[in-house]
Amino acid sequence: MSVVATGDLPERRRSVRKEAAGLGRRLAPLDVVICCGSGGVGKTTVSAALGMAIAAAEDKRVLVLTVDPARRLATALGIKGIGAEPVRIPKARLRRAGITITGDLEAAMLDMKQAWDRMIERYSPDRATTQRILRNPLYQRITDSFVGSHEYAAIEALYELHDAGEYDCIVVDTPPSRNALDFLEAPSRLTDYVGSRLLSLLSGGASRFGFRAMNYAAAPFLRLADRLLGAEVLAEVADFVQQLQLLYDGIQGRAQSVYRLLRSPQTGFVVVTTLEQGPFSEAEYFCAKLREFKMPLRAMVVNRVLPDVFRDTDGVAAATTLVEDPKVAAWLTEELHTRVSADGARFIGRTFLNRNVLAQREARQLSKLSRLGEVPIVRMPLFSEEVSELEGLVRIAKAL
Amino acid sequence: MSSPAGTPQRSWRPSTAVRRAIAGERIDLATLLERRVIFVAGKGGTGRSTVTAALALLGARAGKRVLAIDVDAKGDLAAALGSPPAGFAPRVVQHHLSVLELRTDESFQEYLNIYFKVPRVTRLTPLARVFDFIATGVPGPRDMLVVGKIAYEERRKEPESTSPVWDLILVDCAAGGQAESHLAAAKAMLTLVRGGIIRSQVEWIDGLIRDPRRTTVVLCALPEEMPVTEAIELHERLRNGSGVAVDVCVLNRAVDEPVTAAHRRLIMALIDPEHADVVAQHLGGSPAPLEAAIDLQAHLYDTTGRYMRQLRSRLPMPVIPVPYIVDRTGLTTTRAVADVLNTRLA
Repeated sequence: MSVVATGDLPERRRSVRKEAAGLGRRLAPLDVVICCGSGGVGKTTVSAALGMAIAAAEDKRVLVLTVDPARRLATALGIKGIGAEPVRIPKARLRRAGITITGDLEAAMLDMKQAWDRMIERYSPDRATTQRILRNPLYQRITDSFVGSHEYAAIEALYELHDAGEYDCIVVDTPPSRNALDFLEAPSRLTDYVGSRLLSLLSGGASRFGFRAMNYAAAPFLRLADRLLGAEVLAEVADFVQQLQLLYDGIQGRAQSVYRLLRSPQTGFVVVTTLEQGPFSEAEYFCAKLREFKMPLRAMVVNRVLPDVFRDTDGVAAATTLVEDPKVAAWLTEELHTRVSADGARFIGRTFLNRNVLAQREARQLSKLSRLGEVPIVRMPLFSEEVSELEGLVRIAKAL
Repeated sequence: MSSPAGTPQRSWRPSTAVRRAIAGERIDLATLLERRVIFVAGKGGTGRSTVTAALALLGARAGKRVLAIDVDAKGDLAAALGSPPAGFAPRVVQHHLSVLELRTDESFQEYLNIYFKVPRVTRLTPLARVFDFIATGVPGPRDMLVVGKIAYEERRKEPESTSPVWDLILVDCAAGGQAESHLAAAKAMLTLVRGGIIRSQVEWIDGLIRDPRRTTVVLCALPEEMPVTEAIELHERLRNGSGVAVDVCVLNRAVDEPVTAAHRRLIMALIDPEHADVVAQHLGGSPAPLEAAIDLQAHLYDTTGRYMRQLRSRLPMPVIPVPYIVDRTGLTTTRAVADVLNTRLA
């Protein structure tokens, strides 16, 4: 009987519909929907629910590509597990959970290592180069820790899937980054990295840039680096970098195509956030960047919003009296014909006032959203996304 | 090729209290603060900075000279200690308590300066950039800069004396996974760097990090699914990977006041239509909205309990609930959290 669950909040659901009627229908014409936001704001859940809403709105073949190691999501989708191979979500199961989809809904999880290996294979000029890179001990470390490496793998996978044209609509759940912008910057960062003059310098001069003169000037630096790190590391780095540069043209060409796809009118970004300071500022910054990069922001999903009832002025007045009036317990005892303790009265008042403080803070954040301009905003009430079952996910999909 | 297993093992005899803490049995505040370095780790938004600051206050209160370090600083730790953003040099925020903010580019310059007496001048920039590229690609160096600075501060002595400058160093790690790469950096670096001057430094740092008598981790979580899962997974990876001790898990925003039957009766009586008008008049407004807060409180209490049980069953260490302190900010919040930790870790 919790008041905050979606199902029990008719007035909130109506307001959600008013703000952004049918996000699923709105996004359905797109080829690619990219869900972005800080880690922990419920991105994966929202992505899955969006995929569901799109498949319900139109007869389309929809793929949800997640990066979440997704046990919970798999459970929520009512399937055993999600792997690199797309899995179809049974329509009958969805119907039982309360949603009828006209299209097809599938889910897949990004395999990081596979995406990277395939990329190396694709851009290598020959097999020997591929082998040499895949065997380099630095390669594994780099694919794991290079800033934006997960993002890059996600983009590559998205591009390939889109290119293959098997799906009408692909919903991508982006990796939980320290910085949501990493996703947008990953392709150019990789291009810069691979094409970098400094790397040529490190690789000992035998590079596409022909840096023999620089190499001479760099000698003291290399000697110091050598002293710091030991000769073997430097040799490994140099070899790796040299090989990587052979891939430059391929990677640069792909980065340009990827940016074309991200800017395409057939692509839409959905920014997911909560009203907490950190994720919220990040989301605002991200929206500004999307505009700067001319990438289409289609909607903002604000997750875990406290209901308006906690900002009710009558409630605040009543709660304040319960907390502050020393005689209130005695008065209530007499008036209600039941024993009321001062502690009990204070507890009731304090519980409301604590939520009120948070709700006020959230309202201030929400009012800042108007700065974003004409973007549809969907508010999801607190706890509606604590889902481990298909029914919960369906509820969100319907609210969207 | 040598491996981390080849690093010299120190023999040591920890006190009974520390031994019990390492075994995950129980820990009191004094034992926790006996460590030289405490890393505070957890997903973003789990109250890491506040917990770091609160432990720093408690350390200083116990008469220790404390340094609190913010990794990849956004100024949160300084703010939690009621100070403006600090910087790379330790800034005194109160008696016995200083704060320092790490940024990796500065760390690199200082690192070279400290260990190799390379002057901090612009002439270094091309090398710094070359190094930055290696550092971007290879996990070790960048994390090593962070850990190296922490280790340097740990080893720093008062001028002309053998007594250390700091009794206790607290580290507010950057978001979840990063704590792990900091802690594992030395170990990873050892597999990578087989020679060079750095190796001996790295071996020493690795020894400090993996010595449970001197170094430990405090995990932070919230009563929500993702932060709890991440805390449990982080602990598993730390235990299996870097071999770092974890002493305590702090569950922030815990709702630990239950809604009792008496509270329920009272709220039902308050909103009973029979007395609605007279009650609304006396209280200055209708109490109807208050029921939602009570329902939410009951729900959050259940959720907190569920996640407390999950954490306690999965983590071999004490789990300390800290309530959500909503109506205060900055240093006053930190003081309140410090009081809770002081009571519950007694």
